Order: sequence, then structure tokens, then C-alpha cells
Amino acid sequence: MTTQIKTLFDTIDPEILETVETRGEEIANGRSTNSKVIAALALGSIPVAFAALAKDAYGQTPTDVIDVLQFALTLEYLESEFYNRGVGSVGLIPASDLPIFQTIQKHENDHVTALKAFITQRGATPGAKPNFDFTAKGNVPGFNFSVGQYATFQVLSQAFEDTGVRAYKGQAGRLINDKPALNAALSIHAVEARHASEIRRLRGKKGWISGDSRDDLPLFTQPVYEGENNASQAGMDITALGNGNGGPTAVTEAFDEPLTKDQVIKIVTPFFA
Amino acid sequence: MIPGGITWYRVPGTGFLTKVSANTCAEFGGEMGEKNVMVISSAEQLMEGNTRRNFLKLVGLSGAVIFLPNVLTSCNSSNNGDITGPPGTGTPVVIDFAKGDTAILQFAYALEQLEADFYTKVVANFSGAGFSSGEQTLLTDVKFHEVIHREALKAILGSANDFTVHTTYGALNFKDRTAVLGAAKTFEDLGVAAYNGAAQYITSTANLLVAGKIVSVEARHAAAIRDLITPKAGGASGANPDSFAPKSFDDVFSPGKVVGMAQGFVVEKLTPKNAPTTFVEGPNGNGQ
Repeated sequence: MTTQIKTLFDTIDPEILETVETRGEEIANGRSTNSKVIAALALGSIPVAFAALAKDAYGQTPTDVIDVLQFALTLEYLESEFYNRGVGSVGLIPASDLPIFQTIQKHENDHVTALKAFITQRGATPGAKPNFDFTAKGNVPGFNFSVGQYATFQVLSQAFEDTGVRAYKGQAGRLINDKPALNAALSIHAVEARHASEIRRLRGKKGWISGDSRDDLPLFTQPVYEGENNASQAGMDITALGNGNGGPTAVTEAFDEPLTKDQVIKIVTPFFA
Repeated sequence: MIPGGITWYRVPGTGFLTKVSANTCAEFGGEMGEKNVMVISSAEQLMEGNTRRNFLKLVGLSGAVIFLPNVLTSCNSSNNGDITGPPGTGTPVVIDFAKGDTAILQFAYALEQLEADFYTKVVANFSGAGFSSGEQTLLTDVKFHEVIHREALKAILGSANDFTVHTTYGALNFKDRTAVLGAAKTFEDLGVAAYNGAAQYITSTANLLVAGKIVSVEARHAAAIRDLITPKAGGASGANPDSFAPKSFDDVFSPGKVVGMAQGFVVEKLTPKNAPTTFVEGPNGNGQ
């Protein structure tokens, strides 16, 4: 048990430990708001109490962080199912492009696995995989991963990847006090951006988003690009920085914009059966 | 007069001037201790009586006069390319992490200066470098984005933007498509890992968002550059090192690691001060 405690302490930043100590005093004085800490202490299990306390010390953990992770898991379920079915449909994807989608498929499945582990580590239960409707309630008529539907598959891929980048970006701030979760989210965020760039270029588009253009994607995907034409950064209008540097279009390309959770939910809801 | 923007050294005992690697205003602010060497760091200095007398004396004797790079301009010139020299030999650029988020933005500003300068040179050397017109369009876009990143961070930093990093690329041949793309890949992948690893030290969600808005564009660049080098590379392992996305999780590098990797391209000595002693690893566990 001593070893276990030592390991726990060694893996926690001094800064966080300080917070833990402060909160520990409060808890000793009966002010913990975390019923798990109290329950664990009642059971006499110090490591368990400490694990619960570590979460309690963050203040906003676990509900906010768990909410972000569950939300991200839902998006990754959508993506992983999409690529599992696409790559699994023999003949849908031309052999020359298959390595691209195999790569993305593997990454999305790894993201699902990692997010589940993060949620479990934080004492919650990962949400179950939903059932999906890739016709998006008829917005993508007849789409079922059949051979011959590759162009539509690519369209959906672009929409999902560009959404994924913006979704993670919108949630990063809520993870600011949970560094391992922040790191994981950011490292997934960047990989989604790589995927987005590749699929966009595969489709003959630029790897980056110009203004709020959905390019040749169908109208129902416009919310994916809503607000991408923002030229205000850190409270400053930076439109003029485009002078001699590609103009206002380049200014919007240089910055990807976040989506709120509500915006993302509106985008993906049609894909849930 | 001595050609502006270059450091010249009068070889002792001869009448010849020779070019020397640049040093800096901070290190050589006036006359040096050595008897027959004099450092001129500003044009104004030449107008001072003592300086002028010593200058004439040294020219007449076998002394040496060093003109610092900014004699005809000023220190902290914003014109990249003024100062040359081996990596890490110039004025220390101090990033003081005690300044909190400002330090993180300064760190980003230094990296964006490097990237913007690199792509500016890439674009300036298109002629004869073997890039297709599509590739030229792509690389020109990337140049625009990096210059805009640099200028945006400069504006956000306000008075804390008062430093310039000057670049050095060793033997890199900007007329060699393969070499240029290889370097671009290094810069983009490093940029992604740098933002990802610096994020944990940001305390304001507004600043975290700015970093997040930039890093995904760097990742888009990284994928595009990688795809130019090896088109459509990947596979079921998800771990093809030549792929547009070589890992399931992007790297998360500590500022110290990033400085170590970026220093090879920067004349000034990148000098983290009060650097954080703790670093939380990302999923790949390779940040330090």
C-alpha cells in the first residue's frame, strides 16, 4: 500500500499536490463536496480515497472533463464506424487510396480506445456506441457504403474530419486543468486536422478552409463551416494582415475556428439512428 | 563607408577588411577590453569624439574595428537576414516563463518567425527548384499562413514582441525540391508538437484557444507537405512514418525539447528562463 501511495504522489505535479493538500485540509474539516472521497475514507482505503481526492482537487473535475471526454467519444464512435464500414466494403475505395483510409480508420479506432480508458481512469463509465444512420435522415439519399458511392464517402469524410477539428478545439478550454486529458485531446485534434487536410486534397480542394466555404459539399453540411470566416483573433480584427499575404482569404485559412458543443450536436444528430 | 548590415573585421597588420560571423549589440555594446580592437555598434557612436579619435588611431595603426550588423539600422531589426552566423551564436533571446502566458506566446512567436522566414525563402527560390505549379500554389499559401501567424502573434504580444530571431539553414539548398520539402516537414511536425506541448502551461482559455486555432492549421500543412513527399502513404497499421498522419496521436513536446530542435536553425541563442520543471507527457510519451 505504501508503494502504491508513493507512485501516486510521484506522478502528480507539485502544483497539483499543493492544491490537493489545501483541499485535503478542507476535507479533513468536513468540507469535501466529493462523496466518493468521503465514501472511500469511510472504507479506510487510502489509495482509493487519494485517487478520488485527486479529482476533487481539480475543482471542476470530474463532471466537466468527463462530459468533454464522453462527447469526444461519441464523435469518435461516429468516425470509427464510418471508416470501419468504408474500408470494410470491398471495392468502395480504389486500391490507390486505400492506405489513406486504412490509416484514418486505425487512428479513429485508437481514439475510441484511448478515450474510453481516460473516462474509466476518471471513475466514469464510457458511453455505449450509438447506432448510426449515414444517410443523415435522407440528406445523403441511399448512401450505404456500396461500391460506386466513393464520391459520397469522400464528401462525408471531409465533413466529419473538418467537424472533428472544430469540435475538439471548442472543448480544449474545459480541459485546461486536466493536463493529461488536455494533451490527449490536443494530440487527437491535430491528427483530425491531418486527416482533414488529406481528404480535402484528395478531393482536389485546398487542405485548409477558405472563409466559410463548404466547397462543393451539399448544403446540409454548411453548419460544419459556419463561422470559419472569422477574422478576429484575441479581440483584434486581423484582416489587414492579409495585405500582401494572400488577402482576407488567407487570414481565415490561417486560423481554424472552434465549434460549440451545441453546434456540433446539431451537425451530427442527423447521423444518429 | 562599410556596407550596411554586415559585420566587418579589419585584419590586424593589414589594410584588409574581412567578414566575420555576427555578434550582437548586447554582447559588444562599445569598446572591448582588448587594446587594438574597437566595436562600433551604432552610427551615432562614430560621431562621438573619443570613438572617432580611437577609430582614426586604429585605422592608422594595426588595430581592428568591428562594425556590428546594425550600425546603419538599429538593434532588433525586423528584417530577417540581417544577422547571420552559426546557430546559437547570436544575442540570447530570453523566454522567461515567469511571465506566464506571455512567455508561451513569445515562444510561439519565435517559432512562427522561423517558419515564416523559411517559406518566404522557399517561395523566393521557386525558379529552377522543380516545384509544379500546384505545389507552388500550396507552398505560397503556407507562406501566407505562417506570415499571418507571425504578425498576429506580434500584435497580440504588443510590447512583449520586442525580439527578432534570425535564421540559418546550413547547407540547405532552396533550389532542391526534395531538400526543401524535407525541411518543411520537419518544421511543420515540430510546430504541431510545440504548440501541443506548450498548451499545458497556458493559464487563460482565450490564449489556449488562439494556440488551438493555429496548431490545427500547422497540422493541415504537415499533412499536405508529407503528401507531396510521399503521396497517399499509409496503411492498416496507422503508423507508416511516411504517411500524412504517421501516428494515431500527434506528438506533445516540452518547450525544452522544441528549443533543442529549433536552435539549429536560429542564430540567436534561444534561452528559456524559469522554465517549468514539470512536464505532463502526451499519449506518445516522447516529449522530453
